[in-house]
Amino acid sequence: MWSDLVDLLFQAYERFSLLPLFIEIALVFIVIAIILTISAYASILFRRYKAYVHAKRIAFLSPKIEDLITEQVLLNENLDKDMPIESFEFDKAALDNKIYKKPEVRQILIDTLIRYRKNFRGEVGELLRKLYIDMVLQEDSYKKLKSMAWETKIKALVELTQMDIPIADVTLLPLTNSRNPTLRAAARNAYIQLSKNEPFKFFDIATEPILPWDQLEMFKIITTSKDIAIPNFARWVSYSTNKSIVSFCLKLIAHYDQQNAIPTVVGLLETKDHYFRANAINCLGKLTAESAEPRLVSMYNSQPIICQIEILKAMGRIASGKYLEFLKHEFLYSFNFEIQMNAARSIIKHNTQTSRAMLNELVETTNEDNRIIIKHCQNPLIKY
Amino acid sequence: MRVITDFFTKGAFWDTIAMFYQYAVFIYGTSLLMCYGLLAMMSLANIRRYQKKNANVDYNIIVESPLAPGISVIAPAFNEGVTIISNVRSLLTFNYPKYEVIIINDGSTDDTLDKLIVEFEMVEVEYAYREKLNCKPVKRIFRSTNPAYDKLSVVDKVNGKSKADASNAGVNISAFDYYLCTDVDCILDKDTLIKLIKPFMDEETSTTKEINGDIQIQEDYKRVIASGATLRMVNSCDVDEGLMIRVRPPRRFLPRFQEMEYIRAYCLGKMGWDLINAVPNVSGGLGMFDKEISIKAGGYDSLSFAEDMDLVTRMGAYMKDNKKKYSVKYVPITLCWTEGPTTLKVFGRQRSRWGRGLAQLMNTHRKILFNPRYGRMGLIVFPYHFFYELFAPVIEFLGILFYVYLILTNQINWPYAIILIVFVYTYSVMITTMALLWDQITFKYYTTWGETIGLCLMAFLEPFIYHPLIVWFALKGYWDFVLGRKHVWGNMQRQGLGAQKKITVSAAILLKDFLNNPKRADSLYMSKSIEVTGTVFDVDKTPDGKPMIYLQTGDNIGGVQCLFTRNANINKGQDVTIKGICSAYSLEGVVVKDCSLVK
Repeated sequence: MWSDLVDLLFQAYERFSLLPLFIEIALVFIVIAIILTISAYASILFRRYKAYVHAKRIAFLSPKIEDLITEQVLLNENLDKDMPIESFEFDKAALDNKIYKKPEVRQILIDTLIRYRKNFRGEVGELLRKLYIDMVLQEDSYKKLKSMAWETKIKALVELTQMDIPIADVTLLPLTNSRNPTLRAAARNAYIQLSKNEPFKFFDIATEPILPWDQLEMFKIITTSKDIAIPNFARWVSYSTNKSIVSFCLKLIAHYDQQNAIPTVVGLLETKDHYFRANAINCLGKLTAESAEPRLVSMYNSQPIICQIEILKAMGRIASGKYLEFLKHEFLYSFNFEIQMNAARSIIKHNTQTSRAMLNELVETTNEDNRIIIKHCQNPLIKY
Repeated sequence: MRVITDFFTKGAFWDTIAMFYQYAVFIYGTSLLMCYGLLAMMSLANIRRYQKKNANVDYNIIVESPLAPGISVIAPAFNEGVTIISNVRSLLTFNYPKYEVIIINDGSTDDTLDKLIVEFEMVEVEYAYREKLNCKPVKRIFRSTNPAYDKLSVVDKVNGKSKADASNAGVNISAFDYYLCTDVDCILDKDTLIKLIKPFMDEETSTTKEINGDIQIQEDYKRVIASGATLRMVNSCDVDEGLMIRVRPPRRFLPRFQEMEYIRAYCLGKMGWDLINAVPNVSGGLGMFDKEISIKAGGYDSLSFAEDMDLVTRMGAYMKDNKKKYSVKYVPITLCWTEGPTTLKVFGRQRSRWGRGLAQLMNTHRKILFNPRYGRMGLIVFPYHFFYELFAPVIEFLGILFYVYLILTNQINWPYAIILIVFVYTYSVMITTMALLWDQITFKYYTTWGETIGLCLMAFLEPFIYHPLIVWFALKGYWDFVLGRKHVWGNMQRQGLGAQKKITVSAAILLKDFLNNPKRADSLYMSKSIEVTGTVFDVDKTPDGKPMIYLQTGDNIGGVQCLFTRNANINKGQDVTIKGICSAYSLEGVVVKDCSLVK
């Protein structure tokens, strides 16, 4: 029988090899296309079926897990007794349930605990953490941290951070300089949240940039975490060679209004990089650094537009009133529309008797285009 | 001499030509199909990369961040009076902290402008307008006196006979560094701005390097100049007041084919090109752009029939001419639903315009083709579009004529001909099925199995019904381009989205339905737009200061909680009708979100 089959295949091959090349290619592609189409259909159906089964499983498991959390944590009778969290005892039998030994269920349990912990702080939050530890779920997360796949590592970092479980510096610090930007960002966020003593230590060793999106995340973590000791960010402005770290520190300096950083930021005005200079000028404006005003005015004419606009904005924020004539001059004689707009806005921002008188005078004496610019900037209906 | 004469007269010449043509077409066709296969693989890799990268991203971080960059949303409107109010309301509900909405009334002859002025309490303002991009004159600019609409600007301008002209006017008054260009009748996802700004923020920005012996500074980063996302057909979806309630594939054949085609173009084409940083264009229906670069590149060309691709091409060319690195990014998520033509006439007009636009684009930017100075655009994007997009309809049409000729002259080798047809057919079905599979991998937009498989089966019909239409209309477009015919801009008759069956229910019955039969109540109300009537039991505020009210239900424990998106003047004991989306049910009652006061 086998020999018949081999003969048949051999004959088929012989006939196939006699065909012109383009027909041979076409036949091969037909077979490939049919196989791949059938596979794609099977895959679509399988994926949908898998999602359906998973949803069913979640629907079955979720009430059980939620009941466990409700009974052991939310309705724990010791909650109002001012007991230290370490002395709380959970029902061993409930925790030892066989169902919680399966990896898939343990993952659902971790996800549910994280969801709860995002919504509960204080004693309940701590109790959720204790439940996570008592069920030895941190071992699952640590295991994921050792995975080769970066996305699994990120998942572990998120879990451990949410549950406030420490990770050794030797493991975490190298990840803060990973070439993979997503892993790097997750590790940096984890480091800030988990490192109790020096949350910004990785700023010293960071060689890879902090991308703008990562800055958003980091900014939120830094500004919303209660137990982070805020350092003087000027030190990284002074010596960090990582431009994105310096740029990010300038934003933090402005946010925390670190007035003692002003001399360091003024020092940055010497840099050749105009983006850097613009960031430094922006920071000085937000710090209302009046002492920097003469320096900003003296350097104004040699700057590119991006820096000139930042200088005008800074003068509006500082609003010392000493350079109103300078702003008026820029408004009247600049050929650049953006410069004119920002000069007008900065005069308006002063909101003093002198500045108001200047605006009235400008409205009465200047040309129609300039008058409309002032009216535009004064109109409260125009938000941006 | 006789030999030569015989060569031409006895058919040897034509046989040689025919043989050459057959082989050339086979090589062309096979290479095209190989390109599709390669794109499919690249697109799968890119989709997986995107999913892994964004699996743990908390997009809401940007919503509360002072570091979020501002975005201007530009939506031109021409005679959109029927739907303008709900569409603008939808644009005002983006989940983003810092944005403005600019509606360009492009010389509408209906009541579009009047409706906007009345509904949004707009007044004309003295606006310092400067033309950075060419467009028809702007007559007036309006702003709202109601702080609830302080993000909205309406520009009234002279009709420029193109979307490009209106979009340029929008860019001229935009305040922010990034702008999103869309059509006012498109339904956009609430997270559109977050999802499209993220690619811009995933690259290092504003870094420089010193050149010429540290004397000069040069930009040294890959600047993202545009980003886009998948579009789909809105035709059979459930939409209410500009909000997408439920996604369905279109029921009618023509838009259904278009849905399949869009999925293939975005999930398989653009995601594949994105992997090698060679995205050819960002759709006119939804695209976010770097304003500085788009202005430097000259903005939209109002004479172009493919203004979206033309803009991206010119932006890319500008970057290359100035020796700057750039990228155009795509996200594999559907963020925009647009109404597809349902009649052959409108469809044909659209496709002819696209065909003509492609021919025009290739002609206008011919210096880029095969020019290594333009990098991937010159060596990959343009050659691909030249050979496989522009020429494909011509070669297909000639191929059909050649088949007919062979049949008529009885020269055809039927077994081989059939094998070749089956080859092309099976391969095209395979590519489309793969695109649909990739789409399933990204997000399961369709709720039922039937909807998914129903769409998949269209792949089997496409080569017989839809594809010939596309070829025909593309050729018509080329012909118009060659003859330089004047294009007539047609106005697509809108089918009236949002005309869903109204669900009105009292608060007491709503809660009772959920208590008695949660499953049935789920299917009746959940995720749907409903109008709830009742008496206000309590008034409170959400953490972000928006009103939150409780309606009396007669039940001691459960209630109906309504969360408003805008301020509303409501007092305890007041009888109200509230419109919103039924979003959750728990033991404490039913939650209705995105509420607005009807009366």
